[in-house]
Amino acid sequence: MVGTVSLYKAQKSVPLQVASVPDVGLLQNLGLRVGTKVAVQHRYAFGGPVLLDIENSFSVALGKDIATQIIVGGLPKHELP
Amino acid sequence: MSCHDVKLDESVLKKPNKILLIGNPNVGKSIFFTELTGIHAVSSNYAGTTVNFMEGRLTVGGKEYVLIDAPGTYSLEPSSEAEAVASRLMESGALAIVCVLDASNLERNLHLAMELRQHKIPLVFALNLADVAKRKGIDINAKLLEQELGAPVVETIAVKKQGLDELVLRLGEVLDSPKNCADSPCGSCSSCQYTEPGDKWLSAKEITSRVVKVNTANPSFLDRLGKKMVKPFPGLPIAFLALALLVGVVVFGGRMLRMPLIMLTDGLIIPFFRNLFEGIFAIFASEGGQLSYRYLFYDGGFQTGFRIFTDGAWMSADYGAYAAVGGFASVLLNVLIGEYGIFVISFQWIIALILPYVFSFYIGITFLEDSGYLPRVSVLFDNIMRKLGVQGGSLIHVFLALGCAVPAILGSRTATTKKEKMMIATVICFAVPCISQIGALVALMGAFSWWMSPLMLLFAMFLFVVVALIAGRIIKGKVDPLIIEVPNLLMPTPKTYFRKLWIRMRHFLKDAELPMLAAVFLAAILAGTGVLSIIANQAQVQMIVSGWLGMPEEAVVSLVLGIVRREMSVAPLLILNLTYLQVFVAGVVSLLYLPCLSVFGILAKEFKLRFAVVIFVGTVVSAIFVGGVINQIGQLFI
Repeated sequence: MVGTVSLYKAQKSVPLQVASVPDVGLLQNLGLRVGTKVAVQHRYAFGGPVLLDIENSFSVALGKDIATQIIVGGLPKHELP
Repeated sequence: MSCHDVKLDESVLKKPNKILLIGNPNVGKSIFFTELTGIHAVSSNYAGTTVNFMEGRLTVGGKEYVLIDAPGTYSLEPSSEAEAVASRLMESGALAIVCVLDASNLERNLHLAMELRQHKIPLVFALNLADVAKRKGIDINAKLLEQELGAPVVETIAVKKQGLDELVLRLGEVLDSPKNCADSPCGSCSSCQYTEPGDKWLSAKEITSRVVKVNTANPSFLDRLGKKMVKPFPGLPIAFLALALLVGVVVFGGRMLRMPLIMLTDGLIIPFFRNLFEGIFAIFASEGGQLSYRYLFYDGGFQTGFRIFTDGAWMSADYGAYAAVGGFASVLLNVLIGEYGIFVISFQWIIALILPYVFSFYIGITFLEDSGYLPRVSVLFDNIMRKLGVQGGSLIHVFLALGCAVPAILGSRTATTKKEKMMIATVICFAVPCISQIGALVALMGAFSWWMSPLMLLFAMFLFVVVALIAGRIIKGKVDPLIIEVPNLLMPTPKTYFRKLWIRMRHFLKDAELPMLAAVFLAAILAGTGVLSIIANQAQVQMIVSGWLGMPEEAVVSLVLGIVRREMSVAPLLILNLTYLQVFVAGVVSLLYLPCLSVFGILAKEFKLRFAVVIFVGTVVSAIFVGGVINQIGQLFI
């Protein structure tokens, strides 16, 4: 995996992979776990949430305080579209 | 309807013939429940509409079962109060489970399916939202999925009633014949050799990759719009437009509906009762009518006490007794048909004032709910809400509270921390008026000038901010950051839309009618008997109402009735001649003042009694304090 960065600072519209995720039940339940493929659709100004596309399937908005705790990295080469 | 049942009813857990309806939030379980049992469950297009469970009868193959609609859950390991209900229901045992899957979002839904399988209860899967999946270019091989899951899979579009008959049929098969799964372990029968996969997410992913084909090259208009609405541009302008539209629907729709109703009540119903009662009492009042009066009441078989009394007055022809009877009669006449008479205000306030606004509000909000728009608002405004010490998700509850605070406070069970729940309840009680009250305020202020209602709206928003900031400091604990799924944007189907509108109105009539009538009776009796003027003439009361708040002394009736129902803190003012300043002060007092008795009950049940008492004292004190300050400052300029 290439360098990792917090989800809150991750680049927009780029396929990413979750590298670490805090132990929050709801995040697990939404399927956000190590290895999940995500893409940041939008980051809202003034401390707003991050809008995330999960597995190309559904959208979830994550507040800043939780988004900063999630670490993501680029997709490994063989999985790049 | 069990939406006001607060605690989980333990007796349901013990029922033997249960069938559970389980699935992720917002997959349409409540629509299945309504269609299968005929009992109306409220559904919306966002997670967490069902926060408790509902039960209804379901007949499968001639046998009767209890179908239970559990709150949506992402997992059997619960992360909120509402989710815990689902998992307790699971543990209490069931004959079968109908698991509703969102076809447009299969992988995550399959994870729950995997969890359900390990409970070894017969399963039937409804692959719902098949139309939305198709719209999004998702193609699922249901036959293959059935093999993968080892249990029946039925494609459904619940809102259009498609696939439901087949679902019941397959459910019957599962219930009748305990499957022999020697060849392929199904995980859903008691003798099963099924071993759960080590990584449920992985196996959900693998199954998904085998049965789903995706072609997202041509997203539909609704999907594109749904994506756009959640971005600040054009999302924010759209949000303001939607809010303006909602206000427009409520204010103008309400006004339009009021006109014919006012004509009906003031022109027909009230004069009818006035003539009727005055006619009866006129007969009684005339001396010549004594005989006929006696005839009317005595032989008509009225209460004994009243009969002897009036009878005595007639027999002795004693003037004093006669005057007493006359005095009593005029009080009674006042209570029935006077300015605050039961037969006047129950029609004027409830039918011609409150009902039109309630109806027009639900026309608007139901559309917003079912379309899946509200979670998008939560996302757009999360940054502001976060600075206020709550999070964007709370806005959904605030929107609901604009209808009625009771279901909104119950709905806040989806909150993940105690503090968040308390914050929501506090903000709602202090700064979010319910639609009955909004209707009364709009009627009061609209009669004055066009700018009064918008000014009040701004003030309410300001109050919202202040209350949230203060409550955030006082209430201990923390608020979890926003984690919210943005649902597919849907066009509400007319059938579910109108059904929901109808349920809402029926609920309103059922739940609000009694307190409203109680308030009306209280008003009539207080005003008709003169008790009100006695209260109003107390020196302390005069000091607060007239001196500090600058209101006419009759306004005291608002403060008394406002305890019972919110709109009653405004309605009595409609017939007074108030100045601009008085109207605004009255609006502020009413806004901050006590939420109604029903809310008090809910607060005491959902939280501790102490919390409810603090809210009640806090609202009264702040209402009178802030209202007075505005009056005193206003006086300086007038």
